[in-house]
Amino acid sequence: MAEATTAPQGGQTAPAPDDTDAAQRIKPPKLHPLLRFILIRIGISIILIWGVTVVTFLLTNLVPTDPVAAILGDRAAADPEIVAQTRAKLGLDQPLIVQYFTYLGNLLQGDLGVSNQTRTPVLASIGQVFPASIELGIGAILISVILGLLLGLLSALKQNTIVDHAIRTLSLIGISAPTFWIATVAYFVFFFRLRVVPGAGRLDPWITPPPKVTGLYTVDSLLAGQMATFTNALGHLILPSCVLALFTIGLLTRFSRSSVLDIIRFDYVTAAKAKGLPSRTVVFKYIFRGALVPIITVVGLAFGSLLSGAVLTETVFAWNGLGQYAYRGATTLDLPVIMGVGLVIGVVYILVNFIVDLIYGFVDPRVRVR
Amino acid sequence: MRRLTRNFVAICSTLALTAGLAACGSGSDEAGGAGDTIVAETAFNLKTIDPHRQFEFTGSTIDNAVYQTALEFEDGDLTKPTDGLCSFEMSDDSKEMTLTLKDEDAKFSNGDPVTVDDIVFSFERLQGIKGNPSFFLDGVSVEKVDDETVKLISKDPNPALPYILPNASIGIVNSKVVKENEGTTDEDDGAEQFLNENSQGSGPYKVEKYDADSQVVLTANEHYNGPEPKYKRVVLRNVSAETQLTDIQSGQAQVAYDLNSDQAKQIDESMGKISSLPSTRSLYIFNNTDEKTGGPAADPDFRKAVMAAIDYDKLIDLAGEGSQRMASLVPNEFVGAVSKDEAPERDLAKAKKLLKKAGYDGEKVPFHYSSDQAVNGVDLAQLAETLQAQLKEADINLDLKPAPSSTQLDGFRSAKQPMGIGTWGADFPDPTNYNVFIPGGSVAERVNWNEDPQLKKLANEAAKAKGDERDSAYAKLFKATTDTAVWIPLVQPVDTVAVGSSITKFVSNADVSFDFAKAE
Repeated sequence: MAEATTAPQGGQTAPAPDDTDAAQRIKPPKLHPLLRFILIRIGISIILIWGVTVVTFLLTNLVPTDPVAAILGDRAAADPEIVAQTRAKLGLDQPLIVQYFTYLGNLLQGDLGVSNQTRTPVLASIGQVFPASIELGIGAILISVILGLLLGLLSALKQNTIVDHAIRTLSLIGISAPTFWIATVAYFVFFFRLRVVPGAGRLDPWITPPPKVTGLYTVDSLLAGQMATFTNALGHLILPSCVLALFTIGLLTRFSRSSVLDIIRFDYVTAAKAKGLPSRTVVFKYIFRGALVPIITVVGLAFGSLLSGAVLTETVFAWNGLGQYAYRGATTLDLPVIMGVGLVIGVVYILVNFIVDLIYGFVDPRVRVR
Repeated sequence: MRRLTRNFVAICSTLALTAGLAACGSGSDEAGGAGDTIVAETAFNLKTIDPHRQFEFTGSTIDNAVYQTALEFEDGDLTKPTDGLCSFEMSDDSKEMTLTLKDEDAKFSNGDPVTVDDIVFSFERLQGIKGNPSFFLDGVSVEKVDDETVKLISKDPNPALPYILPNASIGIVNSKVVKENEGTTDEDDGAEQFLNENSQGSGPYKVEKYDADSQVVLTANEHYNGPEPKYKRVVLRNVSAETQLTDIQSGQAQVAYDLNSDQAKQIDESMGKISSLPSTRSLYIFNNTDEKTGGPAADPDFRKAVMAAIDYDKLIDLAGEGSQRMASLVPNEFVGAVSKDEAPERDLAKAKKLLKKAGYDGEKVPFHYSSDQAVNGVDLAQLAETLQAQLKEADINLDLKPAPSSTQLDGFRSAKQPMGIGTWGADFPDPTNYNVFIPGGSVAERVNWNEDPQLKKLANEAAKAKGDERDSAYAKLFKATTDTAVWIPLVQPVDTVAVGSSITKFVSNADVSFDFAKAE
């Protein structure tokens, strides 16, 4: 044991007193634990992404219906010759396993197929709608992180007071209220009655979108120096972002409250208070920073769920993002679209998990040696 | 801690201020004005706007504004096709139609004149690419006679042809440009994507931006030879019915297509107007005639009992003001419609008597319908539940089988459903469009109804009838069809278009629903 621990690191070995000892000492160079940790996580992510392709492919192929009829429509589907031609053209006459490998092969070349309904490449359409969801997701995550953390902190610091009870009740409502209902009511109240926000859509209908750079209208309009378009885009973003953020605000409030309450009991916090440090320093430097680490996970996962869960919000606010695209694909039985969106959302989740794992790995050395 | 609370309030105030500023900054210098733009909203049902491939409501709405057709329905009178780009004449045997180019000043959006060659190419492309609307010109050959005349020759008598040609799917395209962009008259045609983004029509508008998922923008065609449209731009947006209601009430949109009767009632005169027209769609119950599949529904007495057990007045209430009773599947405004007076009536005693005769003892009958579909504002799930409650009063037990429309349609198409709700939208306003419901027709096959000598005889007589006799011959055929109760007509819904108060004059008709070019 002592010999092993004194052996030089970095793949260099000391001269051996005899062959047996040398054989014992020569070991493959050890990877740095952090690098090993990252490589393992990359490996797991790749396997997970492959798993997502299998699941989305199988699920969409298990739907008890014929996509060819949906593609062709009633009239053209009445002609067996056209049906057979279309089936062959789409490769649907091949065995399932062949179809899967064709799908996977195309996928590896960046080809997600073509929408059966609109004949537009799925990747191009996702590229078109993804920035809209990202913009909405970023808006929602910013609002929910700021409000969720602050409300959670306030609730913990005012534990068992009326403020605490009020915040806890509000967070419960945020978590449990149906998004579709909230969205409809919010649109009616804030747009129709109070007129404090503009109507549905990402911009007023008579405004031409800014030249595409990132696809985020707020960013692109700033880059193009179009301030009026920027304020219009920002105005359109606020209400849907707030609605979408409600669930995450509730979640983060509860999570950060309990996290802060855990930290508050630690000795170093008591010591800081005893030293007579100003309360703001104690709260933000000692309590809040300590409580922040486990919250990273919730924020990361919340971003993934915001992207995939925006279907109803996007529908109410006519927000042409990934959610609305997915809804349209599902209702028209557009299998390439369903598989494409499923894959993208799966990959986003896996990537977010991967990044969260990495942050954990960096922050907490115990994680990477497990 | 007090300072912390103050900080929190400050952050919240900043957020609220940003929101307020952004909201106030909606008017924009880059924006141009809203004054010359019509914003129309509908829940998109859009695959393409290539006129010869489109067959859905949204595509048709757009193509009506972009493409002119050889014939038209003036003021939406669906009983009388009139001249469009061409005048027409039918031969006595209804096998030959002569079209003469009438509108010689018509120009495509790039300034090219509309020629007979464009008309011939458009007809042949529609036929050759074998898309969903290709059936319109099945069995018809197209022949250019000279630079002013085209002949359409049908194998069999085709009196429906004048009713078919006004369809937006038979829009006339600029053949030269389409051919240059992979357009052909066979299945190798590759011009769809080009036509989606670069419309090639001679109508009042052309396509500025096409996005099948979110919105389509049209701008005025400067070469249009008709009256210049007041609104130079049309933005057609994909918006849910709930949001459409709020948008039309607030003036955010000027046209909303998908409001149901309850939503339409919420619009008062200060917000807008409701234009209601009879829909060209029919809602009906189908009964499978095959004993193995249909079970009780295959028994004619059971079917007639169902017909007698329905409370049709309540269905009219459900479908809203302007909806109508139907005595057959043919809408009341069409040639060949059976008079509303002959529509089935509720008679519970008769229903119970018929059930006894059929030997039905209350077993559950699977009843299929699309749970995600509304037809002219009539929610099919709500309709199914209403029917279940009504039939229960006659001791008929429906076992509701909701499914998404794509799955439900699959089951219906494969003739595997015993009973359920069907919908039919007229492809063209002529009774021959309903021949598919006669034994041997493509829809009749879905309920395994292949033979009925009496109906076959009536169908032959109707096919031979001419002039005014045609109307009564088809009415006789479809009345006899209803009497079998294989199809039970439920209601003809109403086509509702909500028009915002900023529009003072508009034309809304059964043909094009809302005419953007004529709005003021």
